Amino acid sequence: MQINLTINGNEYSREVDEHRNLLHFLREDLGLTGTKEGCGAGECGACTVIMDGEPVNSCLVLAAEADGSEIETIEGEASEGELSDLQQALHEHHAVQCGFCTPGMIMSLKDLLRRNSTPGENEIRQAIEGNLCRCTGYEQIIEAVLDLTGQLDEREELKYA
Amino acid sequence: MRTPFNYFAPETLSDAHELLEKHGERAEILAGGTDLLVDIRNDMKQPDAVIDIKNIEELNGVEFDSDDGLIINAAATCTEVSSHTVVRDRYPFIVEATSELASHQVRNRATVVGNICNASPCADAARPLLCLDASVEISSLQNKRTLPLEEFITGVKQNDLAPGELVERVRVPVEMADARGANRKLKRIKGHDLSLASVTMVKTDAETRVSIGACGPTPVVLTGFDASTDVDELCSAAEEAISPIDDVRSTAEYRNFMIKQYIRELDEELS
Repeated sequence: MQINLTINGNEYSREVDEHRNLLHFLREDLGLTGTKEGCGAGECGACTVIMDGEPVNSCLVLAAEADGSEIETIEGEASEGELSDLQQALHEHHAVQCGFCTPGMIMSLKDLLRRNSTPGENEIRQAIEGNLCRCTGYEQIIEAVLDLTGQLDEREELKYA
Repeated sequence: MRTPFNYFAPETLSDAHELLEKHGERAEILAGGTDLLVDIRNDMKQPDAVIDIKNIEELNGVEFDSDDGLIINAAATCTEVSSHTVVRDRYPFIVEATSELASHQVRNRATVVGNICNASPCADAARPLLCLDASVEISSLQNKRTLPLEEFITGVKQNDLAPGELVERVRVPVEMADARGANRKLKRIKGHDLSLASVTMVKTDAETRVSIGACGPTPVVLTGFDASTDVDELCSAAEEAISPIDDVRSTAEYRNFMIKQYIRELDEELS
């Protein structure tokens, strides 16, 4: 079937198999391989994208269901070779190890920061409850968001060091 | 997706009924897809037709009416239900249960009605709705019927729907608005996890009701206890009603222990 959708501000019109999921459509049909496939079952959050303003697991959405929607992915973050503020904060706090969870993690955090400009530690933890990081870099991710939102004092930084 | 299927997104209920009728047992209904697409991926289900009901206007949204009570339509997501003003004000324990279901990515897609239709023993949305005496409105091309939720969930991942039927909505009687209630969900981690054992308790001035998840083939509800029932009596009734097993997540013994512990905690909290 034919679908039309907007991804990171660009309009796409494509023929897609009706049983194809959004994740495989992004990665294989469009070559947007920033979004990762971990479990393929809605557990790990590596495939998180923002769909019409809400983070979703793109492995659990059919491309057909995304017809007419607006999608944001990790490819929409950096612009002209410059990291987004959120990417920069993660980079500075060594919040990226293998990097596999990072694209999904950033989508969940982007949504959090839209809803709450100064999230506390618990709110940050809740926002990434559906994003597994197996390098166990959660503390650095929390530290990066606290820093980005001007809430990281020296004492807290020591705690996460 | 390993098995190719055809995707349909009807815009009217009658078109959906006709598609369901035509494809019979080879059709699956798609709302949030957070269970269905996993089952298809794992070859647990191999439908020819996947029928998306989200474009059917009357199956969307959450409504409250002082005569009809709370209506949760089939396409309403967990996020929609838990952010609905009336649900937050008058049924806060539904919000508590649906906010602790899976992760926010899943809750943004998963529907409350889908959680019930999936009929997992640990379905988080089923517990408060069982305590609230909810009923399920079902329709097909030929027929309409209403069933108590307790009778709708018939076994592990089994519901009462026949081929050709779909659930239009779940209805909570208005008499249960403003009841006091709370939940306990035992998990291995604080974040996204299925429950090892879970309890919802709801109290009105007249009655105490308890529902229990992940301790039998279906969630269990205990009714018919007046508000002043001693907590020991509730605990023994619970122990009798549940049939927990040892599995990958927990043991029967631990489940039994924690259910009684939670009933005591909730009884104190709500008294």
